[in-house]
Amino acid sequence: MVYLLPKILVAGGALMSLLATLGLPRWRNGAFWVALVLLLAAGVDAAVLWQAEGNLSLLVAGSMIADPFSSLVDLLVVAAGVSSLLLSWNGDRYGPEFPALVAVAVLGMMMVAEAGNLIWLFLGVEVLSLPLYVLAASERTALGGEAGLKYLLLGAFSSGILLFGMALLYGATGTTLFVRYPNLPLGTGFGLYGVGFLLVLVGLGFKVAMVPFHMWVPDVYEGSPTPVTNLMAFGTKVGAAAAILRLVAYGFYPQAQWWSPLIGYLAVLTMIVGNLLALPQRDLKRLLAYSGIGHAGFLLVGIAAHNFLGSMAAVFYLVPYGLAAIGAFALIRLVEGNGEGVQLDDLEGLAYAHPWAAALFIVVMLSLAGIPLTAGFIGKFYLLQAALVANQTGLAVGLVVGTLVGLAAYLRPLQRMFARSRSERVQAFRWSWAGGAVLVVAACGTLFLGVYPSPMMHIVDQSANFFWLR
Amino acid sequence: MLWALLLVPLGMSGVLWILPKAAAKAAATIGALAEVAVWAAVLVRAPHRLALVWNWIPEWGIRFHLGVDGLSLFLLGLSAVLTWAAVFVSPAERGRTYFFWLLLLEFATMGLFLALNLFVFYLFWEAILIPIFFLLSAAPRPQARAAALKWLIMNLVGSLFMLVGIVAVAVIHAEVTGRYTFEIAALAGTPWPAGSVGWLLTAFLIAFAIKAPLWPLHGWMPEAYSEAPAPVTALLAGVLSKAGIFGLLRVLLPLFGPALVPLRMGLLVWAAVDLVYGALVALRQKDTKLVAAYASMSHLGMIALGVFSLTRAGILGATFQMVAHGLMVGGLFILLGWLEEATGTRELGRLGGLSRHLPRLAAYFQFFALAVLGLPGLPGFVGEYLIVQGLVAGAVGFAVVAVIVLVVAAWYMLRLFQGTMQGPPPTAPAPGRDLGPRQLAFVLPMAGLILLLGVWPASITSRAAPTLYRAVGLVGHAAVGTGIGKGGMR
Repeated sequence: MVYLLPKILVAGGALMSLLATLGLPRWRNGAFWVALVLLLAAGVDAAVLWQAEGNLSLLVAGSMIADPFSSLVDLLVVAAGVSSLLLSWNGDRYGPEFPALVAVAVLGMMMVAEAGNLIWLFLGVEVLSLPLYVLAASERTALGGEAGLKYLLLGAFSSGILLFGMALLYGATGTTLFVRYPNLPLGTGFGLYGVGFLLVLVGLGFKVAMVPFHMWVPDVYEGSPTPVTNLMAFGTKVGAAAAILRLVAYGFYPQAQWWSPLIGYLAVLTMIVGNLLALPQRDLKRLLAYSGIGHAGFLLVGIAAHNFLGSMAAVFYLVPYGLAAIGAFALIRLVEGNGEGVQLDDLEGLAYAHPWAAALFIVVMLSLAGIPLTAGFIGKFYLLQAALVANQTGLAVGLVVGTLVGLAAYLRPLQRMFARSRSERVQAFRWSWAGGAVLVVAACGTLFLGVYPSPMMHIVDQSANFFWLR
Repeated sequence: MLWALLLVPLGMSGVLWILPKAAAKAAATIGALAEVAVWAAVLVRAPHRLALVWNWIPEWGIRFHLGVDGLSLFLLGLSAVLTWAAVFVSPAERGRTYFFWLLLLEFATMGLFLALNLFVFYLFWEAILIPIFFLLSAAPRPQARAAALKWLIMNLVGSLFMLVGIVAVAVIHAEVTGRYTFEIAALAGTPWPAGSVGWLLTAFLIAFAIKAPLWPLHGWMPEAYSEAPAPVTALLAGVLSKAGIFGLLRVLLPLFGPALVPLRMGLLVWAAVDLVYGALVALRQKDTKLVAAYASMSHLGMIALGVFSLTRAGILGATFQMVAHGLMVGGLFILLGWLEEATGTRELGRLGGLSRHLPRLAAYFQFFALAVLGLPGLPGFVGEYLIVQGLVAGAVGFAVVAVIVLVVAAWYMLRLFQGTMQGPPPTAPAPGRDLGPRQLAFVLPMAGLILLLGVWPASITSRAAPTLYRAVGLVGHAAVGTGIGKGGMR
């Protein structure tokens, strides 16, 4: 019961913020504040639980795995939800139900990461996706409608694949409790069991934006309102990556000899394709979408390495990526003002007009590019060690090539800021406390992690100790 | 003490943002001067062992380990002095951001030269790229943005493969000895498996060669040098190009010294090609700045020859020449910047006969040009002499090449001087003002320093030599029986 408290708080946040939109028409921001406070409370509770938890324990017949890993993921997705709420500040245009839907999506992300049972995993994926379909179209623009519809169709498609894979797994094993799979006499071969696993992987690959299941990402990211894109880019990725990590590390580790190379190849492909396609983008949100694809590849490197260091590196990498993503989306939110979307040209002159905003943005973009003294570098270094300790030189070289390919994509927006002319957007630039706070926290966190990563590494060390990897 | 070397520029770059905009240059000058003073204090205490260790990321065995030895001591000084010079000669109108990046660049180079841990080394190695990238991006011409991207991407190509090399070195070392560490001193004696030493070596070598730059990895150089403002070019050619050679000495020789011996001939040929190529291209350039740029590249080939001779004399010469060349070529680029300011052009074809209008500039220009071409009595000669001595002891053929190129060097430097200062009067618009007192306040100390090094080279060599040989692995277990010669040095 204690363990459920963060989820209860988030679910309560969703319900109460819905009530607030109904019952208190005068208190305009009521729904926002209720959801924000309850999400923050859930985050605090998850942090307390993280400290309290020892080894893993199975709840609800193994559906939920209560361990520090779940609590850490809870913390991260709460951070994603809180940052999205803050970025929607003063956003009447997103509709009154926005905070409630964000809270529901966060709940789904929490469920995905703790699932030890395929059914619970599927439920989590759906709870996380359904609100996002609505949120993507919440602004009622043509692009938003396209984004919502595209996301819905492809999401339904991927859910179908996921469910089909789960059915095959159930057929092969007779149980949906995937934590039991390693104990079953399945051998290390392929068979029905392998097909089922592959389909589940594909279904989750859609969510984490793994190549070749990434086609929906750019359009959906571009069309959705910025706070929603932020939630997708950070929250969904954290949830899906955590689910894949949990699935392969708990349910399928005896079969590592064939899925580890497979994920490795997909990781290299994802890193290179994502970063390569980020290069020609002119829209900052599309650029971040492709960058998100590339970073999904980096996360998969840690999973493919399949050692203790690799799982820690993958979990660690979620933090720098998340901080950088919310920082970048905060800047987009600040620059776009009442409009939608930011072209690279819109950044012209920002460095002279608003040097602080530019400086903070430089920090988060350099982190995405993986430059030293930012968190992104520590994350890449972590992954590189994992790949080389696993003796997978190809993975290490792929990681480096992926990084190289993406460099120019992250640097061109920075260069635009130093142009002498000033775009209209920059002239109309206004700080908002919420967006500014997110940007400052993201950039400071990025720098802190880059300069002094030890505490975070300790946390990750405690959270990702999947015992058989030791 | 070593903290101060890092914190003074870093702290000052932060202070710039608190002070009013107009005070940016004054504050940056004070910061750079304070850094020179801190370095002077380090120099005085240098006979004592100066080191700084902080257990930074214990999970990975990474220590924030800084130290000063014969190799780094004078490069730190070079960086401090040239940064001061760059700040001092930059007009205040360049704005706060410009001075901020200059100080941050100083922070990064200081960190690089101090690093004794591979992780720390890499950290600052990449940190150097960022200030230059933004300094170039903010330069007025649109081509500068392309130059900035080229600079960053070419350098990162090298350094990211070096990153793989660094992690691989640590992992292999851990497999051999059971200890996971990034300390250069600890990694130095590792018996590398025969299968991996080749590509490890290549990963490091390419990164260092791109930064220097050595032919054929110099693609970023012409654009970056010509697009950057003159003080930034001075830093690029004076300090940052030394980072590549410094990497060879700090990392490559200690880690892979014995493995380098069989490759020595190939490496020498490579450096010689760079030496000749740079000199010949410098002869053909029509842009004053590019003459100096390719001349600098040729000189780096000379320094690399000294390193690859794998003799004590050659390496001591390379260390001396790094400092001397930094001061000389840095000063030369700043003078060329003033020349461009006064005449509005860099084309050799449109310049000429300026010594009549700009006598003081011409005089100092001649001094720096003569220093760069290696006139005896000036430090360029000392460094080249030591390098040639090392080559004579090790590989006489390359000594002949080096001496022949010295003649070509005299040719291109005198061509540059004659083309601008002597001969028929210019077709370009009338030149502006000659050097004023403010500029003399820069050029006199620089010229004095160069003259001092020329007549008293032992000021560097005697302090550098003892710890230098140990730092680069010429003394101690790594060097035993590897055929590393003394090159006529005790």
